[in-house]
Amino acid sequence: MIQLTTILRTTLLAAIALTLSACGESEPLTEGSEPQLRRLTEQQYRNTIRDVFGGNIIVAGRFDPLERIDGLLALGASSATITPAALERYESLARSIALQVVDENNRKVLLSCTPTSAGARDDSCAETFISSVGRFLFRRPLTNAEQALYTTISGSGAEALGDFYQGLAYGLTGMMVSPKFLYVNEIAEPDQDGLHRLDGYSKATRLSFLLWNTTPDAVLLDAAEAGDLDTEDGLEEQFNRMMASSRADHGLASFFEDMLEFERFDILEKDPVIYPAFILDVTEDAKEQTLRTLTHLLLEEEVDYRDIFTSRKTFISGSLGPVYRVPVDNPEGWMPYEFPEGSPWAGIHTHLSFQALFSHPGKSSPTLRGQAVREHLLCQKIPEPPGDVDFSDFNNDTNAVNRTARQRLVAHNEEASCAGCHKLMDPIGLAMETFDGAGQLRTMENGVVIDTSGELDGISYSDAVGLGEALHQNPSAPACVTHRLYAYGTGRSPVPAERQWMAYLEEKFAETGYKVSDLLQEMVLSDAFYRVIPPALDTNTADAGSVSAEETQL
Amino acid sequence: MMRLYSAGSFIWTGRACYQPAPIWEAMRKDMKLKNLSAIGALALSTAAATPTAADVDTERTIGLVVVSFYTSVYETKYMEECPRGLAIGNDEIWWKSLEPGIRDELTNGGEIEPVTGTRRAMSAKRGPNGEDVCAVPTIVEDPPHKTVEGSISYGMNLDGLLDEATTPKTCSHKNFTTPDGQPGIDNQMYRLLGCTFGWRDSGYVETNANGELIDTSQGIILIEVSEVDDRRNDDEVTVRMYRANDIFPKDAQGNVLPYASYRVHDIPGYGNAAKGRIVDGVLSTDPIEAFLPYYGNLAHSEIHLRDMRMELDLEATEDRAKGIIAGYRDIENFWSYFRKGGYLAVTGQFSCPSMYVAAHELADGYPDPNTGECTALSSSYTIETIPAFIVRPEDDDSKTSEATTEPRATQLAARGE
Repeated sequence: MIQLTTILRTTLLAAIALTLSACGESEPLTEGSEPQLRRLTEQQYRNTIRDVFGGNIIVAGRFDPLERIDGLLALGASSATITPAALERYESLARSIALQVVDENNRKVLLSCTPTSAGARDDSCAETFISSVGRFLFRRPLTNAEQALYTTISGSGAEALGDFYQGLAYGLTGMMVSPKFLYVNEIAEPDQDGLHRLDGYSKATRLSFLLWNTTPDAVLLDAAEAGDLDTEDGLEEQFNRMMASSRADHGLASFFEDMLEFERFDILEKDPVIYPAFILDVTEDAKEQTLRTLTHLLLEEEVDYRDIFTSRKTFISGSLGPVYRVPVDNPEGWMPYEFPEGSPWAGIHTHLSFQALFSHPGKSSPTLRGQAVREHLLCQKIPEPPGDVDFSDFNNDTNAVNRTARQRLVAHNEEASCAGCHKLMDPIGLAMETFDGAGQLRTMENGVVIDTSGELDGISYSDAVGLGEALHQNPSAPACVTHRLYAYGTGRSPVPAERQWMAYLEEKFAETGYKVSDLLQEMVLSDAFYRVIPPALDTNTADAGSVSAEETQL
Repeated sequence: MMRLYSAGSFIWTGRACYQPAPIWEAMRKDMKLKNLSAIGALALSTAAATPTAADVDTERTIGLVVVSFYTSVYETKYMEECPRGLAIGNDEIWWKSLEPGIRDELTNGGEIEPVTGTRRAMSAKRGPNGEDVCAVPTIVEDPPHKTVEGSISYGMNLDGLLDEATTPKTCSHKNFTTPDGQPGIDNQMYRLLGCTFGWRDSGYVETNANGELIDTSQGIILIEVSEVDDRRNDDEVTVRMYRANDIFPKDAQGNVLPYASYRVHDIPGYGNAAKGRIVDGVLSTDPIEAFLPYYGNLAHSEIHLRDMRMELDLEATEDRAKGIIAGYRDIENFWSYFRKGGYLAVTGQFSCPSMYVAAHELADGYPDPNTGECTALSSSYTIETIPAFIVRPEDDDSKTSEATTEPRATQLAARGE
């Protein structure tokens, strides 16, 4: 039966592809992959709470970390579980949020109805609130069963506590510990081609988390409900609307935060004796500088993606001014700034964020920087080092002979087991050695002038700015962001059957002058982005809108 | 955490959904990269191994921020400049004036230190009716203040004379010689304060004031040297001093970071322009009337210097310029500092009445047209600066005086004084 289904699907795909190709250039047909079940990331959770209940609701809690898979935490979210301990934390957090939502100040603006008595249950008012909020939390309208469940919980709570709002907080807590909130559960439906696609609400959710990194808004949910997202015009209308919003900046910033491994800023520390200027404000602003730069260049100016490696345009805050030695017209805020021609700063890889993040606490690391460029910007995996590597020569900064990192790495690479990988990383990282471990400029190391020359995949350069130009010319750079963006949006790595589709996307990206907004549009308006293989039927799996026994017991 | 967006709620009942993010939106409005009005700081030393702003900044301006400001006091190892010892402290005079019974009461029978807490204020209030003798220094008569009797001092020759002659702007006084032998140095402020504990090395008054400057970022002085063509030798530059409107950014060890940006405070009166020159890396200026912000020992004050000039070694160290600011300081302006805090006499160990009398006796500048008595003390302040960016409002021309000797009355009127 399975074999027959597979044969039929393959035949069908081939037939459709043949038909389409005869009509001229069109996207290659794919069958996609199974729908994803993705745990909300911490940022998605926080953004959702902010957007549903307002920014004054404090989300004070810890979230379990996600595993980075194929270069993205977003892919780790697709295989993330919730442990019993984590569920307890979610519950505590949900309770805290719910109590804030119903407190005397917030209830006035967040509840559109007033109970007949604050000391008693009022199912009508509770239902109105639950219906309104539940749509955003579950990213679809609540089913009747769900509606009844949370209304009942709220009413029971109100009766037990003699307080309508306290009862409502219980109902809200129940919704926020439901897997229907904590997980994005994508639903497949048949399409007109005989294949399968995501249903409207799943499309809306994918769109919203890709473009805004938050739950869908009312307009998007309305569009899903009306079936507009199943038409190209409807999708395009929503895409244009969402990209025009400043939330698109946030969405793209979230993507690059993931792609560049910026979550590590939360734990980044530098030795204050060696780098006294690397204070907390600098750490926070360094990250934001790069994200602001990226969103501005790619969404505001709509430059060629590859220009992010060469552009001297950026943003500077009061905290970053002393680090870059740049005047800031308002030391309490941010200002756009363009480093002068000939400056050592051009491209995001020269930013303080990149230099400091991919260094050791007390010194720079050409290897870590080179690895970061290869893995994060070019999507080239560097193998893990062997377990028995002797780092003593490299770590000996006081070596009288090998006084620079370059000299120490040459000595280190005499070991054949190390040389292969270091050859891929070190020439890149050594170009950035004029930035110390905290990203500050220097020209010498231990009294020796730093040599920043190198070569990347056949292109030679003399410094980090030249490295940026080499990255600009490297075909792996735009291909990398194409793959990462698609994987980020779908929650999975492209499958082998999508090779043709990915090549098509890359080609389209190039045709549009490597404009990221065009790449997003191509992706979002495609069929491939929503194409799924329906999961094998499991009679034990509950329907998405049904109410589980566990939930009933809440 | 990203700080790009403000809150907006999808179910917010009082406002439309999707409020634009004010911070980001506001930034978008002036997203167009513009030419900075800020002044570029130049490196202080060409020998520095670290690339400096000079390498990437072509502005012709040197920006500096003062991080250390002390009255210039020359001290010898064995205190030869003070052969009669240090000034008698306010407490000593106060304590001696108390009846034994009161001393017992204040010290719990000698068990506790006599001058702490509230007794600090009490000790200064020893006028006949409890007046603060620092606020009203003529209300009691104390033993004479002990002053410097040495011949060496830091400072400048403000009156241009090498002898004790008078001029229309000065009264007769003894000159000093600098440690490196320059004669004719006028520094009666040193003569007044040099033998008082609070102003000597590690003395509480100035050490504490400098600590407060760094801790509170109040009273920050900015120095802007513009029209610089050659930072080692330039025969014509313009120097202005401002009050900063921003705080000191500091590193993990509490040191002020170089190359920070400071906006200029828009209080009128600051920013008079002085003509200057740079010779072998040393900046010097012609005299101007200047007001400098000052905060220390919990008191806001202001230094008013007439005929102020500056001598600053721009290459003193790799990252610091050092030098002196000298001029005639009006006695009443000087005394306003003590009027705000009688405790200075306690922590600085001197008698306000004694010092006030001595200040008038030593005054050597700006004679009163009616009495002929001088009203100002020749003074010198030792400063250290680090590189900074000085950010002026785009329309600052109207707020910055081009005059080098604008009448004081005009300036004070502009300041509402």
